[in-house]
Amino acid sequence: MSISLNGVTKYFGGDLVLDRVTDEVPQGSLTALLGPSGSGKSTLLRIIAGLEPLNEGYIELDGRDVTNVPARDRNIGFCFQDYAPFRQMTVFDNVAYGLRVQRVPKAQLKAEVEDLLDLVRLEAFADRYPRQLSGGQRQRMALARALAIKPSVLLLDEPFAALDAQVRAELRGWVRTLQRTLGITTILVTHDQSEAMEIADRLVVLNEGRIEQVGTPDSMYDKPANDFVQAFLGPITTLNGVAYRPHDIELCVPGLGTDATVTDVIRLGFEVRVVVENNGISSWVQLTHDEAQRLNPVVGEHVSLRARTGASVATPQP
Amino acid sequence: MKRPRLALRVVVLAYVGALIGVPLVFLFQQALLHGFGPFWSALHDPTMDHAILLTAKVAVVAVPLNVIFGVGASLWIVRHPSKLTRILDTVIDVPLAISPIIVGLVLELVYAQSGWFGAALAKIGLQVMFSYPGIVMASIFVSLPLVSRQVIPLLREVGNHQEQTASTLGAGPVRIFFTITMRSITWATAYGVSLTLARVIGEYGAVLIVSGNIALVTQTLTLDIGSNFDNFNNYQGFVGALLLALASIVLLLILGIARHRERTRNEYLA
Amino acid sequence: MRASALITRGTAKGLAITYLSLIILIPLAALVTNAFDKGLGSFWAAVTQQESIDALRLTLLCAAIASVVNAVAGFATAWVLVRDRFPGQAILNAIIDLPFALPTVVAGVTFYTLYGPLSPFHVNITGTWIGITVAIMFVTLPFTVRSVQPVLESLNFSAEAAAATLGASPVRVFRTITLPALMPAILTGTGLAFARAIGEYGSVVFISNNLPYRSEVASSYIYSLTTSDQTNSAAAVAVALLIIALLLLIFFNVTAQRLARRRA
Repeated sequence: MSISLNGVTKYFGGDLVLDRVTDEVPQGSLTALLGPSGSGKSTLLRIIAGLEPLNEGYIELDGRDVTNVPARDRNIGFCFQDYAPFRQMTVFDNVAYGLRVQRVPKAQLKAEVEDLLDLVRLEAFADRYPRQLSGGQRQRMALARALAIKPSVLLLDEPFAALDAQVRAELRGWVRTLQRTLGITTILVTHDQSEAMEIADRLVVLNEGRIEQVGTPDSMYDKPANDFVQAFLGPITTLNGVAYRPHDIELCVPGLGTDATVTDVIRLGFEVRVVVENNGISSWVQLTHDEAQRLNPVVGEHVSLRARTGASVATPQP
Repeated sequence: MKRPRLALRVVVLAYVGALIGVPLVFLFQQALLHGFGPFWSALHDPTMDHAILLTAKVAVVAVPLNVIFGVGASLWIVRHPSKLTRILDTVIDVPLAISPIIVGLVLELVYAQSGWFGAALAKIGLQVMFSYPGIVMASIFVSLPLVSRQVIPLLREVGNHQEQTASTLGAGPVRIFFTITMRSITWATAYGVSLTLARVIGEYGAVLIVSGNIALVTQTLTLDIGSNFDNFNNYQGFVGALLLALASIVLLLILGIARHRERTRNEYLA
Repeated sequence: MRASALITRGTAKGLAITYLSLIILIPLAALVTNAFDKGLGSFWAAVTQQESIDALRLTLLCAAIASVVNAVAGFATAWVLVRDRFPGQAILNAIIDLPFALPTVVAGVTFYTLYGPLSPFHVNITGTWIGITVAIMFVTLPFTVRSVQPVLESLNFSAEAAAATLGASPVRVFRTITLPALMPAILTGTGLAFARAIGEYGSVVFISNNLPYRSEVASSYIYSLTTSDQTNSAAAVAVALLIIALLLLIFFNVTAQRLARRRA
């Protein structure tokens, strides 16, 4: 199912939270809604789900206007950041909830729930209660519950934020695979740009309620539309008022570019960060392991910086 | 560190024992002074029987009304906050600080024959003061906040994400209320119901004024006890008092279980 | 939202407000109207009658003493319930709620018999401020215990442990770390206890003997005015009592909030 957002605008009291948001989400894609806190991304997700009304604009699912359709009739799967488990029910009953609403016959319901529990690898936990599960397990239960109603769209609000690093990494890859297998149109809200870049087919970057740019992770990283997107999607080093990626800056002998002094050299295995200072401003340049060996920067050394040819800079789009 | 801890323990136990334990034991002793047989027949005294029945009839109406109001108002206050709900919240808590005598007085000012609504109500044949409806109203007044004060903090803590999720899964508002909302506040509501029931069967001052204390007509069990003591029928009074004390103890046990269940059910790792 | 749902919600809200109005708001309005029915002068005269002043003074005195004693006792009890472990602790925990659940008249007649002319201990404190105070202490103990207990339970030990590593003695840790953290809860509980105490009737009326000017509490005085049809005076003294209760609650809650804010 494709999603069409047209001029979606939302006010909270006097504050403008979403400003004429317009986008076409293709069928079967995994779109990441990316932005800092307060950018309106969670609000947009809730509006798409029908959990919140919008003030102006309209939303279509597969060409059908759903703006005034209540959440329960939109056939959308939604996962909250806190997973919102039904605490008083077992894992089985949680996943079965939507099917019971649809009055699915008992035998079929049992089969479908068990299949889903197998899919999310919680088959051994069917009779447990949510409080007995770990964070990652609760997340998988929430997903199974949402998938039970065979939604045409899956909406995930910061699904990995509350998990520790290793579980987060595992779950990310797993969700990506699951989404590709099932082919459900999915929108994922996150403030973590590396997460978005890793699993999304397309990124929508939001800032203060406005869409800054839409595109594939690669194209947006290499050709950011403005300074905000560039700074949000990755580290930047400013040289002569222009922002570059740290790996797009060349370290040369003094005289060939902007003069600076090396203040620190940090080795991170494959990547070496050379921290430099010029005119009291500190920034860093990224070298590969080989480059660092060749150039051998030393603390205190005087160097000069210049942008490599073909460096990616913010290019406003028409 | 051991000795001060032991000393404190002893002091507290002595204080609570003397203040609460001793009167409780004394009450049992006084009511069972002549043994179980006389106690039993005293319980079947016609005046007392009527009082027990009246108290039960009041509770059967007042408690459910207050529970429905309490849960509904709590949902309104927590899920749809507004300036109005803030006022609502404060007004609901008012009965906690009002003396029962004042409760009786204010109800009389409005619903007695000479009161604001009394004459009009009398015309349609409804007598509130010195009659059953008045006792029910007084009982509702004094126990009004007891359910909300338990349910509101819990509703706030649980949040509405579960309910919103249920609606995305296709559930309508009625199903959500019964399968999600009520189930998450079950024990808090049970706690509130026990407190409400205890308060309703135990109310004295407000009912004293509103009922007129007419034996065999508008005398609840608490009034019966008071009346017995006023007429120096101490033994009869103690029999009724023990009955009420036993009811309170049963309710207390339910409270204890509810508090324990509440804690384990909602115990939650973040 | 569907129209039917909106109508149902509107009706429910309307019913709730009507329920509240009929039972609480309108009667309270009648109280205030009645108190000032014959003017401010008449109100003031009723409140400053000697019997009224004596009753209010006695009530406030006994309530104050009982509340202060229970602030300390309640705190100590909560401490023993939370920070100590001994057999029978669960019974102590349960028995604390008894005065809360027990009908006031039951407590009243029991105290009268226990500490009155028929006392097995041969004491007779009926008609004295002591008797009234003891009855109020019984009724208000749960308030202070139950406000301090949850706060004490959720207090984490790290601040106290840190103070200990800095060389503070247990007494100093208590005085400078633990007690200030619990003060807001103690104050709120004491405020509730005090407000309840000044309105108390059932548990106090028997042991006090109700001698006008001597051992009559405020609620008894209002009762006698009500039953003798002096409704304006009754309303006036009732309004005065409510104002006092309100001021007390405001004082205790504001102080508690100020202390809490300073620490946050």
